[in-house]
Amino acid sequence: MLEIKNLHVAVGGKEILKGLSLRVDAGEVHAIMGPNGSGKSTLSYVLAGRAGYEIIEGSILYRGEDLVALAPEERAAKGIFLAMQYPVEIPGVTTMMFLKSAINAQRRARGEVELDAVAVLKAVRKKAATLNVSEEMLKRALNVGFSGGEKKRLEILQMALFEPKLAILDETDSGLDIDALRLVAEGVNALRSPERAMLLITHYQRLLDYIVPDRIHVLAKGRMVAEGGKELALELEAKGYEQIIKDAA
Amino acid sequence: MTVALPTRRVEEWKYSDLARALGDAGFGEDGARAFIGPVPQGVEAFSLDEPNRPEWVKAHYGKLPANSVSAVSLAKARGGIALRVHKNKHVEAPLGLDFNGHGHVRALLMLDEGASLTLVERCDPSDTRNTGFEIVLGRNARLDHVRIAPNSSAVQVEEISLTLANDAQYRAHFANFGAKLSRLELAIALQGEGAGVDLSGVSVLSGSFHADVTTHVTHEVGQTQSMQLFKKVVGGGGQAVYQGKVTVKPHADGSDSRQTAKALLLGPRAEADLKPELEILADDVKCAHGAAVGDLDADSLFYLTARGIPEKEARHLLLHAFLEDAIAGIANTDLREMVRGAVTVALDQVTA
Repeated sequence: MLEIKNLHVAVGGKEILKGLSLRVDAGEVHAIMGPNGSGKSTLSYVLAGRAGYEIIEGSILYRGEDLVALAPEERAAKGIFLAMQYPVEIPGVTTMMFLKSAINAQRRARGEVELDAVAVLKAVRKKAATLNVSEEMLKRALNVGFSGGEKKRLEILQMALFEPKLAILDETDSGLDIDALRLVAEGVNALRSPERAMLLITHYQRLLDYIVPDRIHVLAKGRMVAEGGKELALELEAKGYEQIIKDAA
Repeated sequence: MTVALPTRRVEEWKYSDLARALGDAGFGEDGARAFIGPVPQGVEAFSLDEPNRPEWVKAHYGKLPANSVSAVSLAKARGGIALRVHKNKHVEAPLGLDFNGHGHVRALLMLDEGASLTLVERCDPSDTRNTGFEIVLGRNARLDHVRIAPNSSAVQVEEISLTLANDAQYRAHFANFGAKLSRLELAIALQGEGAGVDLSGVSVLSGSFHADVTTHVTHEVGQTQSMQLFKKVVGGGGQAVYQGKVTVKPHADGSDSRQTAKALLLGPRAEADLKPELEILADDVKCAHGAAVGDLDADSLFYLTARGIPEKEARHLLLHAFLEDAIAGIANTDLREMVRGAVTVALDQVTA
């Protein structure tokens, strides 16, 4: 599904990722853990195609295709989804209108028939109920005045609607209380499937109590320094990043 | 009679070089015209070309303070229209008012006590024109005014002078897509307690189009309200100007005034000159003003594209969203949709 080799990325002339490699296969859930400033968010932005992230060296293959030259919207249409750490507020665009634009833009790019307003509403309602996203939220301007939990639930709703092949969840647990976290985790777990790969990017082990990964990678100073099964999270929790990074060196 | 046109040395015309835009031809001596749709019941219309003006026209025509350009139209206009909505008459359907032709033209609109009207003003873009428009709102009268100015390669100038008696309400929206030089000037006098104005406007400018909205609202008495919200999207080598002056006269306590002007510049050659200004001579007032010029938010753009929306469409969506709160206040649904439609077309040009 995803194969990153020796990736070097600079932001504003400063190298952030320094030779990162990662392979994620379909059906797998990988967690990427690391201290602040290790390059976690840079990795998620690079995968989604954000401007300003310069690839100096290395390659990213997604389902055998070179991802680097594709615009963010092309990546989305091909099945890459990034649930953002800080979903933006956009006054003047209702949530429903945004969802319809996004769904149809992706369908158009894939050469599929666009959905009319009724069909979109039906699809959204079906998924919204299980994530506790209310009709009222859908009518409001996108993310405007939403609580932290509401924003993250809306991210997961989009993931459910777009049915991506590769989902990247960037600090999805940040700013959530335990009830909201449980709800979001259930939403994510429901989307686990043999055809889908997921990348959980997180600072804390807490999220991994609810979404249990197949593999855990530790990212530090722009490189993967440790890898293991789900038990690695507990080791991290016990020893802290510093010790694990030291052990790995 | 000769009346000199303002030069850029005059502060209020600093951003709009009228003499240069007009060239030697000036506004010309031809007569521009004003037309209205079928005159609804309860409305009186008088063509200013006709002799024997009725008393109400004589009493109000040319009486409001005018700037120099409006003085020119008053001196030179040969035609135009006067409209009066009778006491307590509520005209339901919007009434169209069209200005066209080359030269100077005048209009006078009176709403008697308790009358209400929705006016749709359309400016024909083909000719250079100077329009002088006086509006007199009686007690408790209500005027909803929507003015749409399509883009024009000519010079288009209009001054609207307005007075409001007690509890009169003026709600106006000005959609302006620019001209070689476009100037809309509003001089508003809140003369009666309880009177209020709500002004909003959008400009979408591409190419080398220019649009100048200059307002001067005077709170002559207390317990009056003025709200202004102007949004501008400027691409290419376009230039948007907002100059808004609010004066609160001595003893006009309890005045409430807010003015906001924001512009998004889409390229290095685009220009926005936003100048809100307050002159407060009373003690107990609530006044706020603000202006901001910026670019589209990169985070928002990335968010939308990462969800599959192509960049051009995402920009379009964000620009619409930026303008939306200045459009949302248009009370009449059809007119609101008409402005949205015109904005969509203009945004297509500006993001092309």
